[in-house]
Amino acid sequence: MSKRKIPIAPYIFIAPAILIFLLFIVVPAMEGFLQSLFTRGIIVRQDIPALRSRFVGLFNYQKLVSDPRFLTAFGKTILFTLITVPSIMVVSLSLALLLQEKIHGVGIARAMVYWPSMISPIIIGIAWRWILGYDTGILNYFLTLFHIDKQPWLIDNARAFISVIVVSIWAQTGFFMVIFIGGLNTIPDSYYEAARIDGANKWQQFSGITLPLLRPTTLLVLVLSTINAFKVYQLVTVLTSGGPGRATAFLVQNIYEEAFSKPLSVGYAAAQSVVFFFVMLLLSIAQFKLSKEESV
Amino acid sequence: MKSRKVLIGFLKYVIVIVVAVIFFFPMLWVVISAFKGESELFLNPPRILPVHFTLDNFKSGLKFGNFTQYFVNSAYVTITSTIITVIISTMAGYGFAKFKFPGRDVLFIGVMATLMFSLEIIMIPMFLTLKGYGLINTFIGIIIPPAATPTGIFLLRQHMRSIPDELLEAAKIDGANEYQIFTKLIVPLSVPAISTLTIFSFVWRWNDYLWPFLVINDDKKRTVPLALANFVGQYAVRWGDLLAMTTLSIIPTLIIFLIFQKYFIKGISMTGLKG
Repeated sequence: MSKRKIPIAPYIFIAPAILIFLLFIVVPAMEGFLQSLFTRGIIVRQDIPALRSRFVGLFNYQKLVSDPRFLTAFGKTILFTLITVPSIMVVSLSLALLLQEKIHGVGIARAMVYWPSMISPIIIGIAWRWILGYDTGILNYFLTLFHIDKQPWLIDNARAFISVIVVSIWAQTGFFMVIFIGGLNTIPDSYYEAARIDGANKWQQFSGITLPLLRPTTLLVLVLSTINAFKVYQLVTVLTSGGPGRATAFLVQNIYEEAFSKPLSVGYAAAQSVVFFFVMLLLSIAQFKLSKEESV
Repeated sequence: MKSRKVLIGFLKYVIVIVVAVIFFFPMLWVVISAFKGESELFLNPPRILPVHFTLDNFKSGLKFGNFTQYFVNSAYVTITSTIITVIISTMAGYGFAKFKFPGRDVLFIGVMATLMFSLEIIMIPMFLTLKGYGLINTFIGIIIPPAATPTGIFLLRQHMRSIPDELLEAAKIDGANEYQIFTKLIVPLSVPAISTLTIFSFVWRWNDYLWPFLVINDDKKRTVPLALANFVGQYAVRWGDLLAMTTLSIIPTLIIFLIFQKYFIKGISMTGLKG
């Protein structure tokens, strides 16, 4: 091989994608960090320039620590994550174990469980809003068939919070089940055969073979579902609109409302986004570290 | 012993059926309800199946709700954005998979790192940036920015790495230039990965809410998810129209899902990524 100069072709091939990333990820990301150091006028959707921009250093970040609105939204998001993530993991792994078996018709069941992952969160929100209605909702009708009182699912604070959690789990289970099935398929059957010959029962097989060998998949599901939970927003906009009151208003909604409905708070909203970003960054680093440990 | 096994098998079946119903019924209920007239829709207690099957909700949704326009908008945005996604991901995938060049690994890691900046996080600065570019309220604003997807590039790169280098060398010896190698060799050999990305991209864009929500303000430029969400936001929700339009909006994804079911299962277990 002769010494070649730097090739041009690969740069041309990657250029369009890189250009879009630069213009629409790198620039806004830097803009976000920058704005978080300023106070700036309310964003107007029309072409009116923002009122005034003043450098305030870390003031926006200091404000965060004592802002009950932000802290409540943040706390709610964490609570939501702490409940949703373990539930998703348990439910989707259970369904993966149930639906990977070669029973007749199981493929159809698998497709039905996966189907919600194909639909927009907006549609899912509409469907469940229709189901959870107080007087005309089908769920309350089913409850009355079992002589249980109608529940104000989307009207009462606690029940609305629970509804958002349950619907989120319902919406994501199929996707994570498929990831788990992929992981389960990588475990050789011979391991289970050997265990059976040694007289291991189903539970021993699960805890001794399945769980340890599934660890990389479990980690992936853990991180992805945590990131998804932190970003919860779209589903909520149609299901509860953050209500009743602000019972189901999470981090992303708070940031959005801050920037678009309050004067002089673009920088403040940007500061919230930066905090949000660092949470995501930590999660990604954790995933990277853990998956590296796996491969060692 | 044998009867116990039969019982367990039966119980498993029952559980599988219950699970399938829990996951399938909600959307089915939307579809069934869409065919009910106003009086039946709010019957208390409700009746499961419509007594008078009617298409009124569909007619009024498409006509008065302006949904014909929204469906056209959604189709336009979905198709153009998917075409762009497929082209630039295939190109970038090839660049990263089959060349050695200074900065390659750093750039690739950089591309994958953009996954962390999902729109939810950079929504506010994204709005400011798009406004600066003059892209607010334009279709370009919702077509171009999400067209570059790290998932797509990753998928194509992984696939192309499995194409033997000898094939490329042979083509070069036969005098093919880079452009010919790409279009005549790489693209045909990457059809499985390209199809997977096409299907995924179509569904992502068709379902997309956040981009149009941020960018589109003009009623005439709304896409279907944005229009549906707006419908819900109104003071008195017109459920009949809403359910009918929701039903229509899931038809494209349903068809794609029925045809390409295996691609989804495969695509997800291959990348484990979404969005």
